[in-house]
Amino acid sequence: MKKENKLKSGLQAILTDLLFWIYIFGCVFFLINHWFEKVIPSSFVVIFGIAVGLITFILGLSAGRKIFLPTIRTANKWHKSFWGWSVFLILFITFVVGWNMVEVDLYKLFTKFQNAGGIMSGIFNPNMDILIVCLTALAETIYLALLATIFAIPFAFILSFFAARNLMPKTFIGNTVYIIIRTIATLFRSIEAIVWAIIFSVWVGIGPFAGMLALMIHSIASLTKLYSEQIENIDSGPVEAIKATGASTLQIWIFAVVPQIISPYLAFTIYRWDINVRMATIVGFVGGGGIGLLLLQQQQLLRWQNVGVIIWLIAAVVWIMDMVSAKVREKLQEM
Amino acid sequence: MKSIIELKNLHKVYATGTHALKGINLEVKEGEFCILLGLSGSGKSTLLRCLNRLIEPTSGDIYIDGIDVVAAKGKKLRYIRRKIAMIFQQFNLIKNLSSLTNVLTGKLGYSTLIHSLTFPQHKNDMKTALENLRRVGLKEFAENKTRNLSGGQQQRVAIARALMQNPKVILADEPVASLDPATADSVMRYLGELNKKDNMTVICSLHFLSLARKYGTRVVALKDGKIVFDGTPREIDEKKFKEIYGEDAEEVKIR
Ligand SMILES: Nc1ncnc2c1ncn2[C@@H]1O[C@H](COP(=O)(O)OP(=O)(O)OP(=O)(O)O)[C@@H](O)[C@H]1O
Ligand SMILES: [Mg+2]
Repeated sequence: MKKENKLKSGLQAILTDLLFWIYIFGCVFFLINHWFEKVIPSSFVVIFGIAVGLITFILGLSAGRKIFLPTIRTANKWHKSFWGWSVFLILFITFVVGWNMVEVDLYKLFTKFQNAGGIMSGIFNPNMDILIVCLTALAETIYLALLATIFAIPFAFILSFFAARNLMPKTFIGNTVYIIIRTIATLFRSIEAIVWAIIFSVWVGIGPFAGMLALMIHSIASLTKLYSEQIENIDSGPVEAIKATGASTLQIWIFAVVPQIISPYLAFTIYRWDINVRMATIVGFVGGGGIGLLLLQQQQLLRWQNVGVIIWLIAAVVWIMDMVSAKVREKLQEM
Repeated sequence: MKSIIELKNLHKVYATGTHALKGINLEVKEGEFCILLGLSGSGKSTLLRCLNRLIEPTSGDIYIDGIDVVAAKGKKLRYIRRKIAMIFQQFNLIKNLSSLTNVLTGKLGYSTLIHSLTFPQHKNDMKTALENLRRVGLKEFAENKTRNLSGGQQQRVAIARALMQNPKVILADEPVASLDPATADSVMRYLGELNKKDNMTVICSLHFLSLARKYGTRVVALKDGKIVFDGTPREIDEKKFKEIYGEDAEEVKIR
């Protein structure tokens, strides 16, 4: 047992060191390439990385050793602080690479402000003539977010019971159902709503319906997770008590589980609607309809005054939704 | 008198490997008020929970009112459970529902899903529930959420819920352990009344010998998953007490 653990820690340590140094050399070679336009074969990265990683590991200087085999001590002071320096090096080099990769250019930031003059003056001189058009699009966005949330509720509600560890029997079927639902929910949630919008805008055509479907799928997945976690946190006492009265499984769920989760469910759902309204604007950009689509069109036509109206409206709606949902959730908490 | 509970060589081994019950043989007669004593971890809760199968026993037989509890499944198990009410240390009420609704849940074992969703429409159930609340002195609290009730009141709601089941047996797992002595006594009085007036058989785990002597007709003591004493409350003297609770134990007087 002990020996096994040591072997495992040793492997983790050496792997950490190898990756550590391969990464550092990768960064160094990226910078050489970036600044001096010299291409260095990637095999060099691996060879150098492995070499240095092994040396530091064998000498007992490495960060990997420090993390996974902390009991092994090295003698002199310089040895002791080496891992610290190497961690500093990796952080520093990461920052330098990052700076170059994202092409940070402070000169442009501070001298080219006039390029944004059009959009800035547009924001401060919004074209109120198109207000009605914008409000219509905005309503579309709010409603699509609302429908996406409402349609997601029953699915997520039912699925959440089957995705709650404490409700599923510890049998093969119970476990399988639990794992399948959890996995699918996690998978669907990790696909961004914007990706779903692209899929559905091809499937049902560009417009609010595609946006609604995208948000709905995403909402089902994330509400299922939030809801079921809520179920897993309930007090098991009442569940046992109701079970002991001879109630059926469904009665147990309705009388012992639902009352405990109803107010957090409402809070989550309202929060979700709030998120959905924000996401609906973005989803609109890729074919989900509503105010997002309008914003995209106006931006491409360089109608900055129209863009100005839209930006103000979006800001107002997000602000209001934020406030309302916070207030409602506060009230729910008191219940 | 007829025996209502019969345990034969009952064993429980938890998944963790803890052997919590080591061959319990016990026969409880109808109308007995049987007190379970024993140190923390001696297996009292495990024993009580095996009786209505909240916990699956590992081996052995359980007969309640002549029915094989271990073999029961699905509907049959539900029918057995509804005749066995359970009272818990933590009351286990649904805190954000009213006392009345909590009491009505005692009827779930007798009701179809539709019926249970429309309890307020069923005059009989409402009447019985209110009557049971009145019996435990909480009629005025029918509409109060149980979250706002005191511990003693909550336990009385739990007793009213148990009454709703019209049970033959009441299992009480340290029903008064979270209450002050005076409240504890009043809750025990209700259990005593159900035992005497309604002829319900009670099995109740306790930590106080004084309450055991006052209400129990029989005392069964567990130690390390085995029965180490079975007799009347009066038979427990200093020596027996030390056998049950260990050499260093002193009886705490709570009256
Ligand atoms: N769910 C469980 N899983 C594993 N072991 C358990 C579980 N429940 C109880 N045990 C163990 O079984 C033994 C008996 O526990 P039990 O709860 O029945 O004792 P008890 O007499 O009711 O104690 P207390 O007076 O503290 O309530 C203990 O050693 C306990 O740790
Ligand atoms: Mg216990």
